[in-house]
Amino acid sequence: MKIQEITLYVNGIQYEFSIGNKFGQIPPGETLSQTLRNRLGLTGSKEACGEGACGCCTVIMEGDAITSCMTLTVDCDGKHILTIEGLADPETGELSPLQQAFIDRYAFQCGFCTPGIIMTSKALLDKNPHSTEEEIKEALSGNFCRCISQYHVVQAVSDVAGKAGA
Amino acid sequence: MKSFEYSRAEDFCEASCRAVKGARPIAGGTDLLGELKDDILTDYPGELVDIKRIPGADEIKIENGTLKIGALTKLVKIAENDLIKEKAPILAEAACSVATPLIRNMGTIGGNLCQDVRCWFYRYPHDAGGRLVCSRKGGSTCYAVQGDSRYHSVFGGMKAHTTPCTAKCPAGTDIPAYMEQLRHGNIKGAASIIMQVNPMPMLTSRVCAHFCQEDCNRCANDEGVAIGSVERYVGNYILDNKEFFYQPPVQETGKSTAVVGAGPSGLSAAYFLRKAGNAVTVYDSKKEPGGMLMYAIPNYRLPKDLVRRFTACLEQMGVKFVTETVIGKDVAPEQLEKEFDSVYYATGAWKRPVLGLAGEELTVFGLDFLIEVNEWMQGKVGSEVLVTGGGNVAMDVAITAKRLGAKKVTMACLESENEMPASREEIARAKEEGIVIMPSWGLGKVIEEDGIVKGMELNRRGLIDVAEETQMTSREGVFAGGDATTGPATVIRGIATGHNAARGMNRYLGVTEPGCSGMEHGGERFLTFDPEGILNKKKARQEEIPADERSIEKEDSKSLPEAEALKEAGRCLNCGCYAVNPSDIAPVLVALDAKIVTTNRTIPAEEFCCSHLKVSEMLQPGELVTEIDIAPPEGAVMNYDKFRLRDSVDFAIVSLASVYSTENGKFTGARTVFGGAAPVPYRNQELEGWLIGKPVNEDTAEKAADLAVKNAIPFEKNKYKVIELKTLVKDSVLRMREK
Repeated sequence: MKIQEITLYVNGIQYEFSIGNKFGQIPPGETLSQTLRNRLGLTGSKEACGEGACGCCTVIMEGDAITSCMTLTVDCDGKHILTIEGLADPETGELSPLQQAFIDRYAFQCGFCTPGIIMTSKALLDKNPHSTEEEIKEALSGNFCRCISQYHVVQAVSDVAGKAGA
Repeated sequence: MKSFEYSRAEDFCEASCRAVKGARPIAGGTDLLGELKDDILTDYPGELVDIKRIPGADEIKIENGTLKIGALTKLVKIAENDLIKEKAPILAEAACSVATPLIRNMGTIGGNLCQDVRCWFYRYPHDAGGRLVCSRKGGSTCYAVQGDSRYHSVFGGMKAHTTPCTAKCPAGTDIPAYMEQLRHGNIKGAASIIMQVNPMPMLTSRVCAHFCQEDCNRCANDEGVAIGSVERYVGNYILDNKEFFYQPPVQETGKSTAVVGAGPSGLSAAYFLRKAGNAVTVYDSKKEPGGMLMYAIPNYRLPKDLVRRFTACLEQMGVKFVTETVIGKDVAPEQLEKEFDSVYYATGAWKRPVLGLAGEELTVFGLDFLIEVNEWMQGKVGSEVLVTGGGNVAMDVAITAKRLGAKKVTMACLESENEMPASREEIARAKEEGIVIMPSWGLGKVIEEDGIVKGMELNRRGLIDVAEETQMTSREGVFAGGDATTGPATVIRGIATGHNAARGMNRYLGVTEPGCSGMEHGGERFLTFDPEGILNKKKARQEEIPADERSIEKEDSKSLPEAEALKEAGRCLNCGCYAVNPSDIAPVLVALDAKIVTTNRTIPAEEFCCSHLKVSEMLQPGELVTEIDIAPPEGAVMNYDKFRLRDSVDFAIVSLASVYSTENGKFTGARTVFGGAAPVPYRNQELEGWLIGKPVNEDTAEKAADLAVKNAIPFEKNKYKVIELKTLVKDSVLRMREK
């Protein structure tokens, strides 16, 4: 079956797209990262390596953290996607506990990889709110930071894991 | 990103249908998208068909003790699944080691099994200076063999397709295979490989144009392998051991065949017909068998004694020769057809072709000239000789004329020098002897003043029409080949048509062709090479008689001494693909003796993963992997050990999947498979057998490690992988102490 239209739910908002090579349509070869950043203006997730190795483009799809640069948008038909822009309260602007913890712990340097790291951490804590330090490290092993923010990242995520449900 | 159409399959049947039409299935996409983005391939699918959403294709269940895993099951699920952790923990361990958690959330087990290699030459992005069309992509070379091979195979390569040397040989001689046998010291094996397609390498090695040498992959960097010189060494060996190589057939078929013409094609047909057990009688109009080999090619290139010794070999096999008999004059063709079950005509192209030049009658036809010279009736050689043509016969004429005393010999040919059909060595030899070569010139007509230069067309006449596949003529049971069907061609082409005709005749007679029993060469799993030998930049050179001592009687060049010939065989790169299998799942499934279920059949994992260089060659058109079945071994200890630089992201530099059983401190069962070490997962059955009954201790671990890498032939740059493999084996054995 040839796919001509898809629906995405990004940060709770429904989007309908037409698939094709005409102007305004999403070509089958477009990645989720491109769609989020270029069409929806959600530039929080970054594209760095473009081959799924650095984790900067991480978003959450159906609860799982994935690299949006290695995902075809057309493959996401009907899926719920959460990006860094969907974490803060849309009305009050209040940051999510994870975002706040990253600020509290100063868990970033240049910040380029931070949205990806936060999204991976979010997916982890959603499934396993009381993650151990080891589990946090393992979950984040696909997110690279060149500024060596890792120590503070682990502290920030551990802070939230320790507080969860407490 | 390459553009493509996109469709979604509701079930495997629909996916297969689309795949047959050229669509490429996409599962997790983490491998495929990289290839689409970087534009590394030469061929891209016009359509992707999504198979991720096929219902039930990502289930894990146990049925009658068999663990069944849907091919679309994500790696994260395999890594975390309790059933797998309990029944086949090694699989969970391997799945958990793949790439990063983010990739494992997308990648599937089927996709992991079918992924493409990570070779950095293969994956070189097109945008970064142009993709590399290596052997695996249909090109001719593996860049790792002479380039940076630190992540490549330590157990040899695998052939991706026919190498350029073999492709260029009209007889299709498997040159790298016989070079390999020579390196292994198996000269009989080497000889048998040549003789499968060419019964007279002692002759062809001396006269062949050796097209095989032209596209040798070494040519791009230094000097091509001197294939002809090595072939000559093997050819001499065959002749020296003629009792072994030219044995009469064990069983007679009772069929009789006649071969008309004892040239290369006729003799080739006679050999293959006789080998199959047929009675063979060869007729020839000349005094001695050999055709052009005997009467046209000068003695300085091919001593006639060798031709006589070769025909004697055929006689030893039981081939009968009737010489000085002209079919159509002394014997009627009808009589031949009556007397014999099948007849092969390979009468050659002895007649002078009519070129249609004005004044042509004033010229001498090269072949006639050579024949006369070779029959020791020295023809008149003028003081200035013009030879037209650029092939080996023209060369022979030019050189012979020069040596007979012509003051000036000029060669004019239609071809540019690079396109001249004569071999490079012959051209160099002619120049050395002072012959002027004028390439890209043709004669319009022959006049005594300066010739006017124009194109010339050869008018081939009197050729026999035959069916390409069988060489059969329009007359039932009558076959033809050699120059009589092709027009003037090379010796090796004649041999090839002779062989082809023998096959056609055997089929016609209902005779089964024999294998090459008694001369088998070991069927090596991987292509091997000589790591030291390939570093030699200079090719071997046959010793030549100095130019001023050459004559038309004595052979110009000497055969390579044995040591030289073997050293030259060591320069062969054994071209193929030397990338390693990147999958973590594949070695584990081989170790677990799993079954791969596809839309068409069930294939043992070892056959699926290890028998072909690429999974795509294993699968039939439209065939898709649907499920993996594992019968978990009871009580075995299984581990997947993966060596890499970074504990996440990285593919295995080397890995080991081991499944061990012990009783009272001794091994009772073992399966060991290396990943990242060879083009496909490398199962070490010798090690497995050796381990049985051995105590679990330091000594066993040491010896097991040595045995595991016994056949390793690392490149200069990846010797470290052998050390890592040994460490993996040793640790895996010692780990059993704790159990």
